[in-house]
Amino acid sequence: MTQIDTDLAMDAAAEPAPNISRRVFITVLIAACVLFPLLQVFVGGMNYYLHMLLFLFMNIAIASNWNIIGGYTGYISLGHNVFFAIGGYAGAILFAYFGISPFIAFPICGIVTMLLGFLIGSITLRASGPTFIISSIALVLLVRILLENWEYIGGTNGISLELVDLPVEYVKFPFYYLMLLLAVGSVAMSMAIRRSKFGLGLRAISQDEIKAEVAGVPTRRYKVLAFGLSGLFIGMAGALWGYYLTYLSPVIFLSILVGAKFVLMTILGGRGTVSGPVVGAIVFILANEFFVSQFGATELNIAATGLALVVVLLFFPEGIIGTLKEKDRLPKFLDWD
Amino acid sequence: MVQNIQIIILGLALGGVYALMASGLTLIFGVMGIVNLSHSAFMIVGAFIAFYAFTLFGIDPILSIVITMPAMFLLGIVVYKLIFARSFADPAKRSVMVLMTFALALVIEGTLGFFFSNIYRSTSPSYASDAVIVGPFFLPLGQLYAMAMSIVILLLLWAYLKYTWTGYAIRATMHNRTAAEVVGVNVDRISMLVFGIGMALAGASGSALSFVFSFYPSKHWEFVAILLSLVVLGGMGSLLGALIGALSLSVVAAFVSSNYGPTWSPVTFYLALFIILLVRPQGLLGKKSGL
Repeated sequence: MTQIDTDLAMDAAAEPAPNISRRVFITVLIAACVLFPLLQVFVGGMNYYLHMLLFLFMNIAIASNWNIIGGYTGYISLGHNVFFAIGGYAGAILFAYFGISPFIAFPICGIVTMLLGFLIGSITLRASGPTFIISSIALVLLVRILLENWEYIGGTNGISLELVDLPVEYVKFPFYYLMLLLAVGSVAMSMAIRRSKFGLGLRAISQDEIKAEVAGVPTRRYKVLAFGLSGLFIGMAGALWGYYLTYLSPVIFLSILVGAKFVLMTILGGRGTVSGPVVGAIVFILANEFFVSQFGATELNIAATGLALVVVLLFFPEGIIGTLKEKDRLPKFLDWD
Repeated sequence: MVQNIQIIILGLALGGVYALMASGLTLIFGVMGIVNLSHSAFMIVGAFIAFYAFTLFGIDPILSIVITMPAMFLLGIVVYKLIFARSFADPAKRSVMVLMTFALALVIEGTLGFFFSNIYRSTSPSYASDAVIVGPFFLPLGQLYAMAMSIVILLLLWAYLKYTWTGYAIRATMHNRTAAEVVGVNVDRISMLVFGIGMALAGASGSALSFVFSFYPSKHWEFVAILLSLVVLGGMGSLLGALIGALSLSVVAAFVSSNYGPTWSPVTFYLALFIILLVRPQGLLGKKSGL
């Protein structure tokens, strides 16, 4: 125990020398993303890339957000797409029935999701380990049945939203920048938590919950807080994604596969690290896009997602960043912890 | 009154089948400490075997357990050797074992869906749609046979665990893995055997499932969530608990189904799960520690 605790404490205490290469790398990366749409303005024909990038930003935001409960705290939730659905439907209801554009309402949707997350978490987090995982799957199926039978939001048929009223060259711009904002925000929150006392407590919980409790970590409060926070950006992403698709149905948001992909991305990159989910999302989106273009988004995609997860778990359970770190091969600009 | 008893009968008949389905799951959890999320996916594999045995060779789905059980036993041993044996030895990887079974379920679902497509199937032996009328009660034969079959298999399982040396070793391992190892039980071998037995039970459940329910590859999530709910209710790793959970929840679900429509019957199980977590997280017969 002392070993673990001193490790954690030293991790937190020893503020590393300012990592210049990391700062430069992140700045350049964000600047490049901010400037990229200029290509569309001056060159054109970039809609596919805009789409891929905004999809990537969304997944970075989701994976980084999932990492807070699944990585730092060690509670694996296979049902985080419930948050995605809650955010999406909150946005759809506000838009379709109250006329508030998701561009304005998405923070509200995120907050609603987070609050429901506190509520759900205060029930499901009474269990740990396998029972918690079970409850996360049951939650997906439960919410799916509820949404499918709630006629107000279209039931099984789903709900359609109006298109964004912008010329086709620019229609992706607001989504692009807002998703970028979510990605940056989610990673920033992840970074802040990782370096805080709260984050230290979460990591203590993931190492050994009973010892953490004994050492004075308010484990219950921390867990529920982490669970709710891990829905904040996923909820916002859901609201924007629903608007982007202009159509929401329970199947789109609440297939088991959707939640499985959140988990796979994060584990692939390295759960419990700040840069892991970012790298994981990039690698996963590229691989998935390649796969879908070659074999189609069919049943094979489900099998391949599962197979990828099996391989990662068997051979690189620490993920890309975690494995590199273990071997001391992690380039400095990717060490965001 | 008559109607209520009728509902209870139907609930118990389904409960018997659920108990058979849950037995393999809870056995594997008891011995290996792994929640096997792929359990129902393997049940669907069993159901497909039974389906093709019936449509191609006319083998009765109840008799098809002579095929499904050994086939699934062997498949279980292979899966165990390939995936669980090596990861099991490494304690660091044991924590991600549940995720592994989740991934496995996706692989099975996708593969089955690719080859057989997600259409509804079920075997239709003559008794599947038949019923007997006893007094005022209506007893669907298919569910009755499935329940009888489940009871026989569960009794055999119970006798095996109770009266054979291997069964004794399995129970010892379930009770306390470390202590069992200390007194000379080869727990790795036992784990492999139990994984095989669990899969064989999944195969038998598949045979039963094939004529009681209609099935398609992605339906296993619904099954696994139902099974896990009743296993959590009974207490993880307790066979008796699983049986009690199965029977009681199925009866409640039957009432919900008859009053509010069949859509809401699975909701009973999921809601029950959350209520149990609130009230008694270790379940009815579960040990307090370890979860």
